[in-house]
Amino acid sequence: MAGDRCVTGIKELDIQMEGGIPVGSTVLIVGSSGSGKTTLCMQFLVNGARMGEKGVFFTITEPLFKLTSNMEKFDFFDRGLIDSGMITIIDLRIIFERMGLDAGKYTVEDANALLDVIKDIAKELDAKRVVIDSITALCYRLHTKEMIRDFLFKLGTFLAAMECTTFLTSEIPPGEYKFSQYGIEEFISDGIIFLGDIERGGDLIRTLQIIKMRGVNHSRAKYAMNISSRGVELAPLLKVR
Amino acid sequence: MYQSLGIIIPGTNYNDIVCALFDCIREHPNDVWIYITITRPFNSFARLISDINNIPNVTFIDCISRASGIVKKDEKCVYIESPTMLENIMMETMNLFGRAPPDSGKYLILDSLSALMIYNDSPLVTEFFYQLLNRARCEDIHTISLVVEEGEEDKSITRLIYLNDKILKVRDTFI
Repeated sequence: MAGDRCVTGIKELDIQMEGGIPVGSTVLIVGSSGSGKTTLCMQFLVNGARMGEKGVFFTITEPLFKLTSNMEKFDFFDRGLIDSGMITIIDLRIIFERMGLDAGKYTVEDANALLDVIKDIAKELDAKRVVIDSITALCYRLHTKEMIRDFLFKLGTFLAAMECTTFLTSEIPPGEYKFSQYGIEEFISDGIIFLGDIERGGDLIRTLQIIKMRGVNHSRAKYAMNISSRGVELAPLLKVR
Repeated sequence: MYQSLGIIIPGTNYNDIVCALFDCIREHPNDVWIYITITRPFNSFARLISDINNIPNVTFIDCISRASGIVKKDEKCVYIESPTMLENIMMETMNLFGRAPPDSGKYLILDSLSALMIYNDSPLVTEFFYQLLNRARCEDIHTISLVVEEGEEDKSITRLIYLNDKILKVRDTFI
């Protein structure tokens, strides 16, 4: 943390946000499949851990072994941070099973119980950074828009009180410019970072744009994003005329 | 010394100029050189410059091998997926220079603006070149940009090359 900002450690992204994300914010990381949401989130956790901030990664979409083996090809990833407990990766589907939750739709009580589990884990581990990958898969199990709104609001409020900065990944269909599947997530979130792409000469150029970040006079420019062995890197996007 | 140099070369003298540039790189072993190639794959440089692996102060950024379906790996070379990914070229360039010792001279060769124009629209290349020169000036990197003359003069390239501080025009009879 730098003052009241949570430094992502991705230099150009922090510059765009005058130093980082306001601590305690809930930020929606939006993108279609393969847009780099998981990599960006893991880099956020790893960079935080290197600065002494503990992180928790809740995965719903990918089994643990796949997630870690995918991450091992990145230079930034350090398994030692997991072994030392600076980063904890939790497969939420195992939690669902242990709680006896039906894979279908949850009741209000189920949702509240799940919320308590997430809160307890974050508190127990003294996490300052939390990732839920993906919030779309989690919201899918909630019956109504009211339940989704209530769940996200309570989650965000609790984690903010813990001064914990949270990334929620939001899956959208390719080529669409919307921020969530259910149209609610973006209103509850403090920030939205949109991962997209543009076509140039038949090639797809990855892009990143900060759509919203409460409390920050952030850049609204579209940036070119590269995912290399170093992880996510950004550069100003050349303007296509 | 000029910060940015443009060299206009006839196609027939291309190899001679490249060899001359490598002589210069060898003579300045404490300087860090990045060679961006859009004209020919890194592998063909390895054939032209036989001792390329013994020149530790140069690293290549190859922008065309991947796009041409050539899949090779070399420690001396960073491969870009496509010459249309101009921002990636910029990111890799700045990343490589970021690793240079702070007191070393930094030199960037762009080979060539003419080849970039084949894969990208002229306004895009213009914007990229402006950004590259400005970033280089900020980071105290010297740039050498090549234009290979082939047949008729391309006005958009001529406009670009004149953004450099100094222009050298190599005549056929020069070498």
